[in-house]
Amino acid sequence: MIWRYRVILVILILAFLAVLSRLFYWQVVKAENLSQLGQLQYERSIGNLAERGEIKTSDNFPVATNKISYLVFANPKQIKNKTDTSLVLSSQLSVDKASISAALSKDKYWVSLKSGLKIEEKEKLEGLKIPGVGFEETYTRFYPEASMAAHLLGFVGKDDLGKDKGYFGLEGYYDRLLRGKEGTAVEVYDALGLPVLQEASNSPEKVKGNSLVLNINRAIQFITDEKLKKGIERYSATGGVVAVMEPATGNILALSSFPSFSPSEYGEFGASLYKNPSISNLYEPGSTLKPLIMSAALDANLVTPQTKCNICDKPVSIGGYEIRTWNNEYFKDINMVDVIRHSDNTGMVFVGQKMGIDRMINSLNKFGIGEGTGIDLQGETSQSLPPKNKWYAVDLATRAFGQGISVTPIELLVAFSSIASGGLRMEPHVVGAIQTADGKTIKISPKVLGRTISENTSKVMTEMLVNAVNKGEASFARLKGYRIAGKTGTASIPIAGHYDPNKTVASFIGYAPADNPKFVMLVIFDKPTSSIYGAETAAPVFFDIARQILLYYGISPSEE
Amino acid sequence: MKKPVLALSIIILIIIALSVTRVVFSNGMSTSGVALDQIQTEISVYKIQNTILKEKLLSMTSLDYIASKASVLGFVESKTNISLNRSIPLAIKQ
Repeated sequence: MIWRYRVILVILILAFLAVLSRLFYWQVVKAENLSQLGQLQYERSIGNLAERGEIKTSDNFPVATNKISYLVFANPKQIKNKTDTSLVLSSQLSVDKASISAALSKDKYWVSLKSGLKIEEKEKLEGLKIPGVGFEETYTRFYPEASMAAHLLGFVGKDDLGKDKGYFGLEGYYDRLLRGKEGTAVEVYDALGLPVLQEASNSPEKVKGNSLVLNINRAIQFITDEKLKKGIERYSATGGVVAVMEPATGNILALSSFPSFSPSEYGEFGASLYKNPSISNLYEPGSTLKPLIMSAALDANLVTPQTKCNICDKPVSIGGYEIRTWNNEYFKDINMVDVIRHSDNTGMVFVGQKMGIDRMINSLNKFGIGEGTGIDLQGETSQSLPPKNKWYAVDLATRAFGQGISVTPIELLVAFSSIASGGLRMEPHVVGAIQTADGKTIKISPKVLGRTISENTSKVMTEMLVNAVNKGEASFARLKGYRIAGKTGTASIPIAGHYDPNKTVASFIGYAPADNPKFVMLVIFDKPTSSIYGAETAAPVFFDIARQILLYYGISPSEE
Repeated sequence: MKKPVLALSIIILIIIALSVTRVVFSNGMSTSGVALDQIQTEISVYKIQNTILKEKLLSMTSLDYIASKASVLGFVESKTNISLNRSIPLAIKQ
């Protein structure tokens, strides 16, 4: 009998060991998989999209915000009649039938059909109760001011993984700050699929994006956008730029440029339109550069406002080239005040020769020409000044009146605004403050990049520029009663080794009120055809905008 | 040996009382999932309504919209500046 007991004991021990090993397998080896499998039965993960931060103008109005939209998806395995479903979805989603059919034919459990569906569109489609078709809530960028300041804002597209990513302008430059951190929430469900009463556990790492509060003044931006659009039509130009800055702080108040695009429908526009001409386009500034060169010469005591030009009675010949004035009129013994007033090229050649190559390069460097400004927008370019050994006598002469040198509009605006701010060159800033997700506000302080000229020289230069506005070629357009300092510019466009006489970049740069400047503004028209001169195109638009800004600020005329 | 009748009775009573309590609470909570579902649907509706209203509000307060409405209503851009200045004195007492 004993052996029978022993056999049974062994069988029991083996059975016990078998159970033990199986338990070990499920509890230890497969524990994680089983745990996940179990979770799938009673838990559902809810995608918790982090909202992208807003972009607000200085009055706290969001010019780029978010709205709820939907992504339509389908489970092809749940759709029985694929032909009919494709037909219905195609007409409801305005997507061609072939694309829908192709998506539904895939051997997958989840296929995307269309994104960016509006709430009304989603509700309409949902009402059809098509089996196997579902919706996912997403955020889409919404621009209440439509395409206003499109170049400034940039747009939100997709990256390689299909996630939102900012491109160009502020969306591109501040992408990391604006984009939030995505998280997931878990909800517990019972056997019937109803949620169990308990708080959904939010993933702690989900963070909403930071918002940007701009220095951009919405009213001024609107004025510049409207006036620039009308100006381009009136003068039949191919494009244009208006940039407005506060000289004392470097705050950018407005930045308009056309042709432009719509940030919400960026895909319908050519990629060449995405670039912001204010910071990415290089052009020869022409006469608008003269005040910089003249102020540098005044600052170095090489000339005074009363210094007479002894080479200005006829065209100047240098290195086989003949340098003429824009209207072929010459003034014997013209002084520096009138050189600026008449925008005399020969007078500027005289100033350039007084300065010499070393001092000219040094002065341009002080003004930041060829260095870039460090503006907080994606896509800024600049062209470095040629090295000293590449400067010939004719280069010194032509660069003194703004030809043979390339700048971006923002580069010129920042350099010129240093005359308005008593000689201090400020770093331009579009963003004034960052609002973090937890409600903190981080202000961005103005930054001085350096001193270009002395305060005294800036006052002298201001008087010369006020004189140029009141008595120069654009005096017909000036605002009576206001002291405005400014300078016209008409630069020929270099094409295949020579300058095209009929194609110009017409511009006007200035600031107001001259004695306590609230803004400095640059207006540029690219290849205007009704008139090629800055005095007849950019100047009237400048004064029209200036009048509106002065009214907006409530600044009354200071002179009778 | 005396049987612990009292102790056993108390234990049994406690078990019954706790079981009844559990049944009552479970019964009360069994419909809370439905209520939670309704609340969540309601929150979702309000969220969507808020978004639509925010979108409308921002569109209607945009300068683009205001300018187009002003134009329709007949407002035109003022071409002249009117400012009030001090009158120039006829003579200044030194």
